[in-house]
Amino acid sequence: MNHTTDQLPPAAVGVHGLRKTWPGGVEAVKGVDFDVAPGEVFGLLGPNGAGKSTTIGMLTTTVVPTGGRAHVDGFDVSDQPIQARAASAVVFQDPVVDRALTGRRNLLLHARLWGVSARDAAARIDEHVDGFGLTDILDRPVSTYSGGQRRRLEIARSLLSRPRVLFLDEPTVGLDPRIRYELLDLIGGLRERSGLTVLLTTHYLDEAERLCDRIGVMHEGEIVALDTPADLLAGLGIDVLELRVDSSPAAARALSGLRAGGFAGDDALALGSTVTVPLHGRPAADALDALGRAGVTPTAVTTRRPTLDDVYLRLTGGSLATPAAAA
Amino acid sequence: MTTVVSTPTPVVTARPVRPEAVPRSGPGLLGALRTLAARRFALTARTPREILVPLSTPVLFALVIAPALDSIGPSVPGIDYMSYAALGTAGLLIPLNCLFSGVGVIVDRDSGARRDLLAAPIPRSLLVAGNFVVALAITGLQLGVLLVASVLRGAEYDVTVSGLGWVVGASLLLAVAMYGVAEAVANRMPSVEEFTGALPGLAIVPWFFAGSLFPITALPAGLTAVAKVLPLTHTLALLRYGLLDDGGAGLHDIWGMTNTTAMATLSLGVVALFALVLTAVSVRVFTRSAVS
Repeated sequence: MNHTTDQLPPAAVGVHGLRKTWPGGVEAVKGVDFDVAPGEVFGLLGPNGAGKSTTIGMLTTTVVPTGGRAHVDGFDVSDQPIQARAASAVVFQDPVVDRALTGRRNLLLHARLWGVSARDAAARIDEHVDGFGLTDILDRPVSTYSGGQRRRLEIARSLLSRPRVLFLDEPTVGLDPRIRYELLDLIGGLRERSGLTVLLTTHYLDEAERLCDRIGVMHEGEIVALDTPADLLAGLGIDVLELRVDSSPAAARALSGLRAGGFAGDDALALGSTVTVPLHGRPAADALDALGRAGVTPTAVTTRRPTLDDVYLRLTGGSLATPAAAA
Repeated sequence: MTTVVSTPTPVVTARPVRPEAVPRSGPGLLGALRTLAARRFALTARTPREILVPLSTPVLFALVIAPALDSIGPSVPGIDYMSYAALGTAGLLIPLNCLFSGVGVIVDRDSGARRDLLAAPIPRSLLVAGNFVVALAITGLQLGVLLVASVLRGAEYDVTVSGLGWVVGASLLLAVAMYGVAEAVANRMPSVEEFTGALPGLAIVPWFFAGSLFPITALPAGLTAVAKVLPLTHTLALLRYGLLDDGGAGLHDIWGMTNTTAMATLSLGVVALFALVLTAVSVRVFTRSAVS
């Protein structure tokens, strides 16, 4: 359906042809385009070096774009950076807190800098800390907090100014699995609590699938796909056949054999000693027959639902778990 | 290699809201400065070494070395040497204290909340100003401690309103200049260790040439010329003019004029110029370091 511009809902975040080339010529972001609607949870998914954090840096005005435009809550990040920052908050990949100060002091400082009055700040701190499990530790120096407690403090801090847009840059990276799942619940509940727009970056596929309404897959500074998780997965059909063979050359032979037999298309992929083939409704037995004709004997055969990992592998030819060269 | 499952989407799905529709503002300049200064003060109060270390050397110098030197005979014509040397230690205290505050800048950057502060809806130069306000307050406090301690040890100052005006003006401007150096150098240094390694060269070396313990005319001619361009030389001459020597011998050594008020004004102008330039440099270096 076509919309005229006036009929469209306002975008909370708009990114158009945004580009960042570092001194020396490294292109970290190569002209990306996306919009995030109000109340949407939007994920930028990609490995280290894909350009996600640089994009967040440009939206939070700590990285100066070398091309394109971006706006946050209607404010151009280049021309109206202070207004854009007033409308947003960010949780960084690494801990960014004053460790010598108490949690309460950190929260109060942030609230005051975002223009919240002292009285309102105190009330909002009381309102937030309980839900984040910080009540008992709030008056302790942050240096005594665990990694998970510090993360919760940072997320609570980001909400004190009641931002329209919240940026979460790899919010769960480096945390142990238990804390990570706790935080995922917390982040998942943010929208229900406040209806705010969230733009998060991650290289965890399950995180993106669980939290995001839409996902932009970034690879080497470009968005190579942008859609809902369901629609990204739908492109691979209902089932994927996964074959293990005993070596990389054998995997390459297996893939050639499957393609020669007309069983595998361009969306099949060999990576290491594993071959994945979207079935697109065809029986797995046909694939095994084709494999036998190619003279390859698999060591393991499974069929499973496609994952975002499969989507990503087909888009980029690489694994999310394999960091790309740092941009 | 690549099979695009879903079309890359440069499709505009929404239009930006008009900024006028969302009135949002930060805390105001003064409010933000007060908040940032309160933060820096709280952090400094939790690391007392930042206050004690810069204070200890000048105070010991004023209380131990100055009287000892006085007792064995150095003299400056017409001036009590004990008082002369005690004031000279202010030229050590102000640079040391201001430069030590650069440690906090590096800690902020490497493991503190600086990036959150950079995301705040305030002009970023306020981050520098907030730190500076605290450095200035502590320097003022320490200078007061130094002067009182030296009086208790036997120094004698001639305190007048106009004299205090020169002293406060010169001290303030030197502190501004030295904090500018601290901020600029700290933002260029990769670690606290490298920064503290640079401190003696920045804070102590100029003190040897600035007429701290003897008039600059006692130096070889070449070094006297160097001394005359150091802001510290002008500051010490102004401190002594304000508290010790209304004849302005130190100012005369620099300018060679007869009108002491004019010479004092010129010296204050020199220190002000350094303060202005170094502050501009520090804000620029900070901004370049913080925003890439």
